Amino acid sequence: MRVGVYILMIVSLVVLHATLLPYVSVWDVKPDVGLVVVCFVGLLAGELEGLLVGLLLGWAMSLFSAGDLAVSLAVKGGAGFLAGLAGRHMAQVTPVVLVCGLLVVSTAGGLVTLWAANLSEQQDIWWALQTIILPQACFDAVIGGIGYWLLWSRFHLDRLAMEPEL
Amino acid sequence: MRMANFRSSYGARRLALGVFLLVLLAFFLLPHQLQTMFQGLGGPVGWVLSWPLRMVASVEDGIGSTWHRYLALQGVEDENRRLRKEIEQLEGQNSQLREAASATERLTALLEFKAQALPNMVAAQVIGRNTDNWYRTIILNKGTSDGIRPDMGVITSAGVVGRVVKATLATSVVLLVSDPNNAIAGLIQRTRDEGIVEGTKEGLARLKYIPLLSNVRSGDRVVTSGLVGGFPRGLAIGTITRIDKEEGALFQLAEVRPEVDVTRVEEVLVIQSPYVAEEEPLGDGLPAVKGKP
Repeated sequence: MRVGVYILMIVSLVVLHATLLPYVSVWDVKPDVGLVVVCFVGLLAGELEGLLVGLLLGWAMSLFSAGDLAVSLAVKGGAGFLAGLAGRHMAQVTPVVLVCGLLVVSTAGGLVTLWAANLSEQQDIWWALQTIILPQACFDAVIGGIGYWLLWSRFHLDRLAMEPEL
Repeated sequence: MRMANFRSSYGARRLALGVFLLVLLAFFLLPHQLQTMFQGLGGPVGWVLSWPLRMVASVEDGIGSTWHRYLALQGVEDENRRLRKEIEQLEGQNSQLREAASATERLTALLEFKAQALPNMVAAQVIGRNTDNWYRTIILNKGTSDGIRPDMGVITSAGVVGRVVKATLATSVVLLVSDPNNAIAGLIQRTRDEGIVEGTKEGLARLKYIPLLSNVRSGDRVVTSGLVGGFPRGLAIGTITRIDKEEGALFQLAEVRPEVDVTRVEEVLVIQSPYVAEEEPLGDGLPAVKGKP
Protein backbone atom coordinates (compact mmCIF):
# COMPACT_ATOMS: atom_id res chain seq x y z
CA MET A 1 0.00 0.00 0.00
CA ARG A 2 2.67 2.43 1.04
CA VAL A 3 4.84 1.52 -1.97
CA GLY A 4 1.87 2.27 -4.23
CA VAL A 5 1.39 5.64 -2.59
CA TYR A 6 5.06 6.47 -3.07
CA ILE A 7 5.01 5.42 -6.76
CA LEU A 8 1.88 7.49 -7.38
CA MET A 9 3.53 10.40 -5.60
CA ILE A 10 6.69 10.14 -7.73
CA VAL A 11 4.70 9.96 -10.98
CA SER A 12 2.60 12.97 -9.94
CA LEU A 13 5.69 14.97 -9.00
CA VAL A 14 7.43 14.29 -12.33
CA VAL A 15 4.30 15.35 -14.23
CA LEU A 16 3.87 18.40 -12.00
CA HIS A 17 7.47 19.49 -12.55
CA ALA A 18 7.40 18.96 -16.32
CA THR A 19 4.01 20.45 -17.15
CA LEU A 20 2.49 22.74 -14.53
CA LEU A 21 5.36 24.25 -12.53
CA PRO A 22 6.87 26.17 -15.49
CA TYR A 23 3.65 28.25 -15.41
CA VAL A 24 4.01 29.21 -11.74
CA SER A 25 7.65 30.25 -11.94
CA VAL A 26 8.55 33.65 -10.51
CA TRP A 27 11.42 35.44 -12.27
CA ASP A 28 12.03 32.21 -14.15
CA VAL A 29 12.58 30.28 -10.91
CA LYS A 30 10.22 27.56 -9.78
CA PRO A 31 10.13 25.59 -6.54
CA ASP A 32 11.54 22.09 -6.22
CA VAL A 33 8.37 20.50 -4.91
CA GLY A 34 10.01 17.08 -5.16
CA LEU A 35 12.68 18.10 -2.65
CA VAL A 36 10.05 19.41 -0.23
CA VAL A 37 8.01 16.20 -0.50
CA VAL A 38 11.09 14.04 0.01
CA CYS A 39 11.89 16.03 3.16
CA PHE A 40 8.37 15.43 4.45
CA VAL A 41 8.68 11.70 3.74
CA GLY A 42 11.99 11.59 5.61
CA LEU A 43 10.55 13.55 8.50
CA LEU A 44 7.45 11.40 8.81
CA ALA A 45 8.70 7.95 7.85
CA GLY A 46 12.38 7.96 8.77
CA GLU A 47 15.77 7.95 7.07
CA LEU A 48 15.44 4.77 5.05
CA GLU A 49 12.16 5.65 3.38
CA GLY A 50 13.25 9.26 2.92
CA LEU A 51 16.42 8.06 1.24
CA LEU A 52 14.75 5.47 -0.99
CA VAL A 53 11.95 7.79 -2.09
CA GLY A 54 14.54 10.52 -2.69
CA LEU A 55 16.70 8.22 -4.81
CA LEU A 56 13.72 7.01 -6.85
CA LEU A 57 12.41 10.53 -7.38
CA GLY A 58 15.88 11.81 -8.27
CA TRP A 59 16.24 9.03 -10.84
CA ALA A 60 12.77 9.56 -12.35
CA MET A 61 13.26 13.32 -12.58
CA SER A 62 16.71 13.01 -14.11
CA LEU A 63 15.16 11.06 -17.01
CA PHE A 64 13.32 14.25 -18.00
CA SER A 65 16.07 16.72 -17.25
CA ALA A 66 19.37 17.63 -18.88
CA GLY A 67 20.99 17.36 -15.45
CA ASP A 68 23.40 14.72 -14.23
CA LEU A 69 21.87 11.56 -12.75
CA ALA A 70 24.37 11.24 -9.90
CA VAL A 71 23.74 14.83 -8.77
CA SER A 72 20.00 14.34 -8.84
CA LEU A 73 20.28 11.10 -6.84
CA ALA A 74 22.66 12.62 -4.30
CA VAL A 75 20.58 15.77 -3.74
CA LYS A 76 17.16 14.14 -3.46
CA GLY A 77 18.40 11.03 -1.62
CA GLY A 78 20.56 13.12 0.72
CA ALA A 79 17.64 15.46 1.49
CA GLY A 80 15.38 12.53 2.40
CA PHE A 81 18.08 10.99 4.57
CA LEU A 82 18.90 14.26 6.35
CA ALA A 83 15.21 14.97 6.96
CA GLY A 84 14.88 11.52 8.51
CA LEU A 85 17.87 12.18 10.78
CA ALA A 86 16.47 15.56 11.74
CA GLY A 87 13.09 14.01 12.53
CA ARG A 88 14.79 11.50 14.82
CA HIS A 89 16.89 14.00 16.71
CA MET A 90 14.30 16.70 17.21
CA ALA A 91 11.61 16.15 19.78
CA GLN A 92 9.34 18.73 18.20
CA VAL A 93 9.14 20.23 14.75
CA THR A 94 7.81 23.78 14.71
CA PRO A 95 6.90 25.68 11.53
CA VAL A 96 9.93 27.94 11.99
CA VAL A 97 12.29 24.97 12.30
CA LEU A 98 10.76 23.30 9.26
CA VAL A 99 10.95 26.42 7.08
CA CYS A 100 14.56 27.14 8.17
CA GLY A 101 15.49 23.49 7.64
CA LEU A 102 14.06 23.55 4.12
CA LEU A 103 15.94 26.78 3.38
CA VAL A 104 19.21 25.14 4.45
CA VAL A 105 18.58 21.83 2.66
CA SER A 106 17.49 23.53 -0.59
CA THR A 107 20.47 25.90 -0.52
CA ALA A 108 22.84 23.01 0.14
CA GLY A 109 21.26 21.03 -2.70
CA GLY A 110 21.69 24.00 -5.04
CA LEU A 111 25.33 24.41 -4.08
CA VAL A 112 26.00 20.69 -4.58
CA THR A 113 24.38 20.87 -8.02
CA LEU A 114 26.44 23.93 -8.96
CA TRP A 115 29.64 22.28 -7.75
CA ALA A 116 29.07 18.85 -9.26
CA ALA A 117 27.17 19.50 -12.48
CA ASN A 118 30.05 21.10 -14.41
CA LEU A 119 27.89 23.96 -15.71
CA SER A 120 28.85 26.65 -18.22
CA GLU A 121 31.49 29.25 -17.25
CA GLN A 122 28.73 31.89 -17.46
CA GLN A 123 26.91 30.27 -14.53
CA ASP A 124 29.25 31.34 -11.74
CA ILE A 125 28.51 30.98 -8.04
CA TRP A 126 27.30 34.56 -7.41
CA TRP A 127 24.98 34.51 -10.37
CA ALA A 128 23.69 31.08 -9.31
CA LEU A 129 23.15 32.19 -5.70
CA GLN A 130 21.27 35.32 -6.71
CA THR A 131 19.16 33.96 -9.52
CA ILE A 132 18.58 30.29 -8.76
CA ILE A 133 19.75 28.90 -5.43
CA LEU A 134 18.43 31.45 -2.91
CA PRO A 135 15.15 32.29 -4.71
CA GLN A 136 14.45 28.58 -5.10
CA ALA A 137 15.30 27.94 -1.44
CA CYS A 138 12.84 30.66 -0.38
CA PHE A 139 10.23 29.24 -2.72
CA ASP A 140 10.80 25.73 -1.31
CA ALA A 141 10.54 27.03 2.26
CA VAL A 142 7.22 28.73 1.49
CA ILE A 143 5.88 25.58 -0.18
CA GLY A 144 7.11 23.58 2.84
CA GLY A 145 5.37 25.98 5.22
CA ILE A 146 2.12 25.61 3.31
CA GLY A 147 2.61 21.85 3.24
CA TYR A 148 3.20 21.82 6.99
CA TRP A 149 0.04 23.78 7.62
CA LEU A 150 -1.96 21.45 5.36
CA LEU A 151 -0.52 18.21 6.73
CA TRP A 152 -0.44 18.95 10.41
CA SER A 153 -3.33 21.33 10.86
CA ARG A 154 -5.76 19.64 8.50
CA PHE A 155 -4.79 15.98 8.57
CA HIS A 156 -3.23 15.69 12.06
CA LEU A 157 -0.23 13.75 10.79
CA ASP A 158 1.59 14.07 14.10
CA ARG A 159 -0.84 11.56 15.53
CA LEU A 160 -0.48 9.27 12.52
CA ALA A 161 3.30 9.45 12.66
CA MET A 162 3.32 7.93 16.13
CA GLU A 163 1.19 4.97 15.03
CA PRO A 164 2.77 1.77 13.64
CA GLU A 165 1.29 2.20 10.11
CA LEU A 166 0.95 5.47 8.25
CA MET B 1 4.34 22.40 18.41
CA ARG B 2 4.30 19.00 16.74
CA MET B 3 5.93 15.69 17.53
CA ALA B 4 8.63 14.55 15.13
CA ASN B 5 9.24 11.05 13.81
CA PHE B 6 10.62 8.42 16.20
CA ARG B 7 9.59 5.27 14.40
CA SER B 8 12.66 4.24 12.44
CA SER B 9 14.70 1.60 14.19
CA TYR B 10 18.45 1.83 14.67
CA GLY B 11 18.89 -0.93 12.03
CA ALA B 12 16.92 1.03 9.45
CA ARG B 13 19.04 4.09 10.11
CA ARG B 14 22.24 2.13 9.64
CA LEU B 15 20.84 0.52 6.49
CA ALA B 16 19.88 3.93 5.09
CA LEU B 17 23.33 5.32 5.79
CA GLY B 18 24.91 2.26 4.18
CA VAL B 19 22.74 2.53 1.06
CA PHE B 20 23.46 6.24 0.72
CA LEU B 21 27.21 5.78 1.07
CA LEU B 22 27.13 2.84 -1.33
CA VAL B 23 25.32 4.88 -3.98
CA LEU B 24 27.75 7.77 -3.59
CA LEU B 25 30.76 5.47 -3.73
CA ALA B 26 29.42 3.59 -6.76
CA PHE B 27 28.87 6.83 -8.69
CA PHE B 28 32.32 8.02 -7.69
CA LEU B 29 34.03 4.82 -8.85
CA LEU B 30 31.94 3.88 -11.90
CA PRO B 31 30.20 7.04 -13.06
CA HIS B 32 29.87 6.21 -16.77
CA GLN B 33 28.81 2.59 -16.32
CA LEU B 34 26.15 3.49 -13.75
CA GLN B 35 24.85 6.40 -15.85
CA THR B 36 24.47 4.02 -18.80
CA MET B 37 22.83 1.34 -16.66
CA PHE B 38 20.32 3.70 -15.03
CA GLN B 39 19.57 5.37 -18.37
CA GLY B 40 18.89 1.91 -19.84
CA LEU B 41 16.65 0.98 -16.91
CA GLY B 42 14.94 4.32 -17.30
CA GLY B 43 13.71 3.46 -20.81
CA PRO B 44 10.57 1.59 -19.70
CA VAL B 45 10.09 3.98 -16.76
CA GLY B 46 10.21 6.89 -19.18
CA TRP B 47 7.62 5.14 -21.36
CA VAL B 48 5.29 4.70 -18.37
CA LEU B 49 5.81 8.28 -17.22
CA SER B 50 5.28 9.62 -20.74
CA TRP B 51 1.57 8.68 -20.60
CA PRO B 52 0.55 11.02 -17.78
CA LEU B 53 2.78 13.65 -19.38
CA ARG B 54 1.00 13.25 -22.72
CA MET B 55 -2.40 13.33 -21.01
CA VAL B 56 -1.61 16.54 -19.15
CA ALA B 57 -0.07 18.06 -22.30
CA SER B 58 -3.18 17.23 -24.34
CA VAL B 59 -5.45 18.71 -21.64
CA GLU B 60 -3.24 21.80 -21.67
CA ASP B 61 -3.48 21.95 -25.49
CA GLY B 62 -7.25 21.50 -25.27
CA ILE B 63 -7.61 24.38 -22.83
CA GLY B 64 -5.28 26.50 -24.95
CA SER B 65 -7.14 25.77 -28.18
CA THR B 66 -10.52 26.43 -26.49
CA TRP B 67 -9.19 29.75 -25.36
CA HIS B 68 -7.86 30.66 -28.79
CA ARG B 69 -10.90 29.41 -30.71
CA TYR B 70 -13.80 30.60 -28.61
CA LEU B 71 -12.64 33.23 -26.18
CA ALA B 72 -9.97 35.18 -27.95
CA LEU B 73 -11.77 35.90 -31.24
CA GLN B 74 -11.18 39.64 -31.19
CA GLY B 75 -9.58 40.75 -34.42
CA VAL B 76 -9.64 37.28 -35.95
CA GLU B 77 -11.57 38.44 -39.04
CA ASP B 78 -9.00 41.14 -39.81
CA GLU B 79 -6.17 38.71 -39.17
CA ASN B 80 -7.85 36.15 -41.42
CA ARG B 81 -8.12 38.66 -44.28
CA ARG B 82 -4.49 39.65 -43.84
CA LEU B 83 -3.35 36.05 -43.74
CA ARG B 84 -5.30 35.21 -46.92
CA LYS B 85 -3.47 38.00 -48.71
CA GLU B 86 -0.19 36.71 -47.35
CA ILE B 87 -1.02 33.18 -48.53
CA GLU B 88 -1.67 34.46 -52.05
CA GLN B 89 1.66 36.25 -52.07
CA LEU B 90 3.45 33.25 -50.58
CA GLU B 91 1.90 30.89 -53.12
CA GLY B 92 3.41 33.00 -55.87
CA GLN B 93 6.76 33.01 -54.11
CA ASN B 94 6.46 29.30 -53.43
CA SER B 95 6.21 28.37 -57.09
CA GLN B 96 9.27 30.51 -57.86
CA LEU B 97 11.15 28.94 -54.98
CA ARG B 98 10.22 25.45 -56.16
CA GLU B 99 11.84 26.24 -59.45
CA ALA B 100 14.87 27.57 -57.67
CA ALA B 101 14.90 24.56 -55.33
CA SER B 102 14.75 22.21 -58.27
CA ALA B 103 17.74 23.94 -59.88
CA THR B 104 19.56 23.99 -56.55
CA GLU B 105 18.94 20.28 -56.10
CA ARG B 106 20.49 19.48 -59.44
CA LEU B 107 23.47 21.68 -58.72
CA THR B 108 23.84 20.29 -55.21
CA ALA B 109 23.80 16.77 -56.57
CA LEU B 110 26.49 17.78 -58.99
CA LEU B 111 28.56 19.12 -56.17
CA GLU B 112 27.92 15.99 -54.11
CA PHE B 113 26.33 17.98 -51.33
CA LYS B 114 22.88 16.57 -51.96
CA ALA B 115 22.91 14.37 -48.90
CA GLN B 116 23.87 17.22 -46.62
CA ALA B 117 21.01 19.45 -47.73
CA LEU B 118 18.20 16.94 -47.21
CA PRO B 119 18.27 15.38 -43.76
CA ASN B 120 16.04 12.62 -42.41
CA MET B 121 13.66 14.04 -39.83
CA VAL B 122 11.03 12.85 -37.39
CA ALA B 123 8.21 15.11 -36.17
CA ALA B 124 7.59 15.35 -32.42
CA GLN B 125 5.38 17.26 -30.03
CA VAL B 126 6.48 19.14 -26.92
CA ILE B 127 4.88 17.51 -23.85
CA GLY B 128 6.85 19.19 -21.08
CA ARG B 129 9.38 21.84 -20.21
CA ASN B 130 12.43 22.23 -17.97
CA THR B 131 11.98 20.17 -14.80
CA ASP B 132 14.62 22.16 -12.90
CA ASN B 133 15.98 25.70 -12.77
CA TRP B 134 19.45 24.85 -14.07
CA TYR B 135 18.80 23.96 -17.69
CA ARG B 136 16.47 25.28 -20.38
CA THR B 137 14.94 22.17 -21.89
CA ILE B 138 11.82 20.79 -23.54
CA ILE B 139 10.50 17.22 -23.38
CA LEU B 140 9.37 15.54 -26.62
CA ASN B 141 6.86 12.72 -27.08
CA LYS B 142 9.29 10.68 -29.20
CA GLY B 143 12.18 8.57 -27.92
CA THR B 144 14.59 5.78 -28.80
CA SER B 145 11.76 3.62 -30.18
CA ASP B 146 11.27 6.30 -32.86
CA GLY B 147 14.97 6.39 -33.67
CA ILE B 148 15.87 9.43 -31.58
CA ARG B 149 19.33 9.42 -30.01
CA PRO B 150 21.35 11.94 -27.98
CA ASP B 151 23.14 14.68 -29.96
CA MET B 152 20.52 14.83 -32.73
CA GLY B 153 19.57 18.33 -33.81
CA VAL B 154 16.06 19.70 -33.25
CA ILE B 155 14.50 22.37 -35.48
CA THR B 156 11.24 24.01 -36.51
CA SER B 157 10.48 25.53 -39.89
CA ALA B 158 11.82 28.82 -38.49
CA GLY B 159 15.21 27.50 -37.41
CA VAL B 160 17.26 25.71 -34.78
CA VAL B 161 15.62 24.81 -31.43
CA GLY B 162 18.38 22.80 -29.73
CA ARG B 163 19.76 19.29 -29.52
CA VAL B 164 18.72 16.04 -27.86
CA VAL B 165 20.67 15.29 -24.67
CA LYS B 166 18.73 12.33 -23.25
CA ALA B 167 16.25 9.82 -24.60
CA THR B 168 14.07 7.11 -23.07
CA LEU B 169 11.86 4.68 -25.02
CA ALA B 170 9.07 7.20 -25.55
CA THR B 171 10.45 10.60 -24.60
CA SER B 172 13.51 12.73 -25.19
CA VAL B 173 14.98 15.82 -23.57
CA VAL B 174 16.14 18.71 -25.76
CA LEU B 175 18.65 21.28 -24.49
CA LEU B 176 17.53 24.57 -26.01
CA VAL B 177 19.74 26.84 -28.11
CA SER B 178 19.30 29.55 -25.44
CA ASP B 179 20.89 27.42 -22.69
CA PRO B 180 24.44 28.45 -21.70
CA ASN B 181 25.49 24.77 -21.69
CA ASN B 182 24.59 24.31 -25.35
CA ALA B 183 27.07 24.90 -28.17
CA ILE B 184 26.36 24.74 -31.92
CA ALA B 185 28.77 25.40 -34.78
CA GLY B 186 27.52 28.57 -36.51
CA LEU B 187 28.32 30.63 -39.58
CA ILE B 188 27.59 34.30 -40.38
CA GLN B 189 25.69 34.05 -43.64
CA ARG B 190 26.97 37.32 -45.18
CA THR B 191 30.64 37.22 -44.19
CA ARG B 192 31.05 33.39 -44.05
CA ASP B 193 32.89 33.68 -40.73
CA GLU B 194 32.50 30.66 -38.49
CA GLY B 195 32.11 30.51 -34.73
CA ILE B 196 30.38 28.74 -31.85
CA VAL B 197 26.85 29.70 -30.84
CA GLU B 198 26.06 29.19 -27.18
CA GLY B 199 23.14 30.28 -25.01
CA THR B 200 23.30 33.06 -22.45
CA LYS B 201 22.02 33.50 -18.91
CA GLU B 202 19.44 35.96 -20.25
CA GLY B 203 17.86 33.37 -22.54
CA LEU B 204 19.42 34.70 -25.76
CA ALA B 205 22.48 33.34 -27.59
CA ARG B 206 25.95 34.58 -28.53
CA LEU B 207 28.39 33.81 -31.29
CA LYS B 208 31.95 33.33 -30.05
CA TYR B 209 35.29 33.26 -31.87
CA ILE B 210 34.45 35.67 -34.70
CA PRO B 211 37.77 36.76 -36.29
CA LEU B 212 38.86 40.31 -35.43
CA LEU B 213 39.08 41.27 -39.09
CA SER B 214 35.51 40.21 -39.81
CA ASN B 215 33.19 43.08 -40.81
CA VAL B 216 30.21 41.50 -39.03
CA ARG B 217 27.40 43.92 -38.14
CA SER B 218 24.03 44.01 -36.44
CA GLY B 219 21.31 42.39 -38.50
CA ASP B 220 23.56 39.70 -39.97
CA ARG B 221 21.98 36.26 -39.93
CA VAL B 222 23.69 33.31 -38.28
CA VAL B 223 23.13 29.80 -39.68
CA THR B 224 24.46 26.36 -38.82
CA SER B 225 27.83 25.62 -40.36
CA GLY B 226 27.25 21.87 -40.61
CA LEU B 227 30.80 21.13 -39.51
CA VAL B 228 30.01 19.32 -36.27
CA GLY B 229 26.88 18.23 -34.41
CA GLY B 230 23.57 17.00 -35.68
CA PHE B 231 22.74 19.89 -38.03
CA PRO B 232 23.23 20.24 -41.76
CA ARG B 233 24.64 23.51 -43.11
CA GLY B 234 22.39 26.53 -43.56
CA LEU B 235 19.67 26.23 -40.89
CA ALA B 236 18.75 29.58 -39.34
CA ILE B 237 19.98 30.07 -35.76
CA GLY B 238 19.33 33.77 -35.22
CA THR B 239 20.11 37.38 -36.01
CA ILE B 240 23.02 39.38 -34.61
CA THR B 241 21.80 42.25 -32.44
CA ARG B 242 25.06 43.55 -30.94
CA ILE B 243 28.82 43.19 -31.44
CA ASP B 244 31.31 43.24 -28.56
CA LYS B 245 34.83 44.11 -29.67
CA GLU B 246 37.03 44.32 -26.59
CA GLU B 247 40.44 45.98 -26.54
CA GLY B 248 43.17 43.36 -26.80
CA ALA B 249 40.78 40.47 -27.39
CA LEU B 250 41.66 37.85 -29.98
CA PHE B 251 38.11 37.46 -31.23
CA GLN B 252 34.85 39.38 -31.50
CA LEU B 253 31.72 38.34 -29.69
CA ALA B 254 28.20 38.87 -31.05
CA GLU B 255 24.86 38.75 -29.26
CA VAL B 256 22.35 36.69 -31.24
CA ARG B 257 18.56 36.76 -30.99
CA PRO B 258 17.41 33.18 -31.69
CA GLU B 259 15.16 32.82 -34.72
CA VAL B 260 12.80 30.47 -32.86
CA ASP B 261 10.92 31.63 -29.78
CA VAL B 262 11.88 28.56 -27.77
CA THR B 263 9.51 29.41 -24.93
CA ARG B 264 6.49 28.92 -27.20
CA VAL B 265 7.54 26.07 -29.46
CA GLU B 266 4.97 23.23 -29.60
CA GLU B 267 5.98 20.99 -32.50
CA VAL B 268 9.49 20.27 -33.70
CA LEU B 269 11.46 18.16 -36.17
CA VAL B 270 14.31 15.99 -34.94
CA ILE B 271 17.11 15.54 -37.46
CA GLN B 272 17.92 11.86 -37.33
CA SER B 273 20.79 12.13 -39.74
CA PRO B 274 22.05 15.28 -41.40
CA TYR B 275 23.59 13.10 -44.08
CA VAL B 276 21.16 10.93 -46.08
CA ALA B 277 22.52 7.67 -47.46
CA GLU B 278 23.23 7.68 -51.19
CA GLU B 279 20.71 4.97 -52.07
CA GLU B 280 17.80 6.54 -50.13
CA PRO B 281 15.09 8.03 -52.41
CA LEU B 282 14.77 11.79 -52.04
CA GLY B 283 11.15 12.14 -53.25
CA ASP B 284 10.10 15.50 -54.62
CA GLY B 285 12.91 17.41 -53.10
CA LEU B 286 11.35 17.94 -49.68
CA PRO B 287 12.93 16.61 -46.50
CA ALA B 288 11.81 13.09 -45.55
CA VAL B 289 9.59 13.44 -42.46
CA LYS B 290 8.86 10.18 -40.66
CA GLY B 291 5.58 10.18 -38.72
CA LYS B 292 3.58 13.00 -37.23
CA PRO B 293 3.13 14.11 -33.65
